[in-house]
Amino acid sequence: MKRFLPPLIPFIVVTLALEWMVRSGFVPSYLVPAPSAVLRALYESRDELGAAMAKTSAAAVMGFALSTLTGVAIAVLLSSSRAIQRSFYPYAVFFQTVPIIAIAPLLVIWFGYGIKTVIASAFIVSIFPVIANTLTGLLSTDPALRDLFRLYRASATVTLVKLRFPAALPQILTGLRVASGLAVIGAIVGEFIGGQGLGSVVDVARTQQRVDKVFAAVLLASLLGLALFGLINLISAVTLRRWHASEATME
Amino acid sequence: MMNRRTFLGASVALLAACGKAPKIRLALNWKPDPQFGGFYAAPYDKHGLDVEILPGGAGTPTVQMIGAGSAEFGIVSADELVVARSHGNDVVALFAVFQNCPQGIMAHASRHLASIGDVLKEGTLAIQRGLPYARILEKKYRFDHVKVVPSPGGDISAFLRDEKFAQQCFVMSEPLQAKHAGVDVTVFPVADIGYNPYTTVLATSGAQLTNNPDRAKAMVAAVRKGWRAYLNDPAPTNAKMHDLNPSMEAAAFAEVAEAQKSFIETAELGSMTAERWTMLIGQLAELGDIPQAFPAQDCFRSL
Repeated sequence: MKRFLPPLIPFIVVTLALEWMVRSGFVPSYLVPAPSAVLRALYESRDELGAAMAKTSAAAVMGFALSTLTGVAIAVLLSSSRAIQRSFYPYAVFFQTVPIIAIAPLLVIWFGYGIKTVIASAFIVSIFPVIANTLTGLLSTDPALRDLFRLYRASATVTLVKLRFPAALPQILTGLRVASGLAVIGAIVGEFIGGQGLGSVVDVARTQQRVDKVFAAVLLASLLGLALFGLINLISAVTLRRWHASEATME
Repeated sequence: MMNRRTFLGASVALLAACGKAPKIRLALNWKPDPQFGGFYAAPYDKHGLDVEILPGGAGTPTVQMIGAGSAEFGIVSADELVVARSHGNDVVALFAVFQNCPQGIMAHASRHLASIGDVLKEGTLAIQRGLPYARILEKKYRFDHVKVVPSPGGDISAFLRDEKFAQQCFVMSEPLQAKHAGVDVTVFPVADIGYNPYTTVLATSGAQLTNNPDRAKAMVAAVRKGWRAYLNDPAPTNAKMHDLNPSMEAAAFAEVAEAQKSFIETAELGSMTAERWTMLIGQLAELGDIPQAFPAQDCFRSL
């Protein structure tokens, strides 16, 4: 309870304030829906929104998993030599600057309408923070420990598995936290053009001027982002608890 | 470095600039193109108006902008306006450019389709599902046999690559693009299924009409002259709009301007009738887009 109360208080205050502002006519309901109207839309369209949420979740999770695996692999490769890093890192930055909206129609041509396009969009948007953070982590191993491994003639693979990768975990997890939210955004953008899930619901509701339903879908999308974020925090707590300052219990 | 005094000075200057005689904003729901020709051709200054035209893009919420007062005038479609009114957004139509709805479905001519129902028997249809006519189609023909995907806007690349692909279009725009790309098309106007709302409608808010009735009147007069001028000779205005929207080719401006004429020409440009509005309101009520029908007189004003 102690953990949930602090974030709950601002939530309740803002929700009540918003409800009051719309009900008193201070803000017209066609611009910002009352929280109660969003809840009603959530309830009335529960089947449609539930199905959409399932599709968006599947695509976002797959895109996120793909960028985690590929991102970490690319970072390991980049960290293996200065020359490789110099030649390829600039291209990794490319992913961060891709205006996804601009290339989204091309994704449809490459991957067709449906989930593949949505996964690709989530992947493109979320891979860069994984690469960048993992690389930083892999390159900032404690020199003293590296010397120790060298002294014992540990192979490059052993050094990577036993030392550099575990030491980089805090940075990798930070990268994943950033990437998790981006994957959800990427999935929804992909759905605008790929045509399914919450993105499609938002698109249709917007055309119908159903602001309440737009917000209901947005609410679900942010819950999805939160869930992914929570998952990373859980992994972080389990893997880092014993040795890293960021997860040590604060009293 | 900026100290507090210069900051204050700058803020005051900024406020003063905002307080200058207000320009009248006209919000468009797309980039400058022939469907807005008359608005760019209108002699606003001769009617004592200082109008700033704000180009839009996909999904620019002009109807909400009018209601919120972030634009005094805006371009909406009639169905959008009716739905907005049912949500308590007091928006009123003043001038309907397109007397007949220029939207349609285009398919490859090689499929030899006879009607809009045939389009929905197989293949893919790119359409904005939220639009009322999309749902009328769905109700009437069901979408069980056709794969429905989001509309790619004015982009026809998917259409060109796939013979079984049909898409929503403006009948005077995308079909011409397809023809230039070497593909013959069949076009089924939406009006054929009995759904024919006014489109590219100049609208304002009820508050504007109450507080500034003369200004709305002057606006309609200027716009009507603009459209007359544009229909008679679109070339000078097309050149102006091409400068603002260079991604559309000059030849396309001329072509579309010619093709849209039959949708716009009428005895008195821009005029609307209560019958047409009543019919539309009835259709939207039946579709469930508005909770109940209301009087057509609320929707438009003849100034």
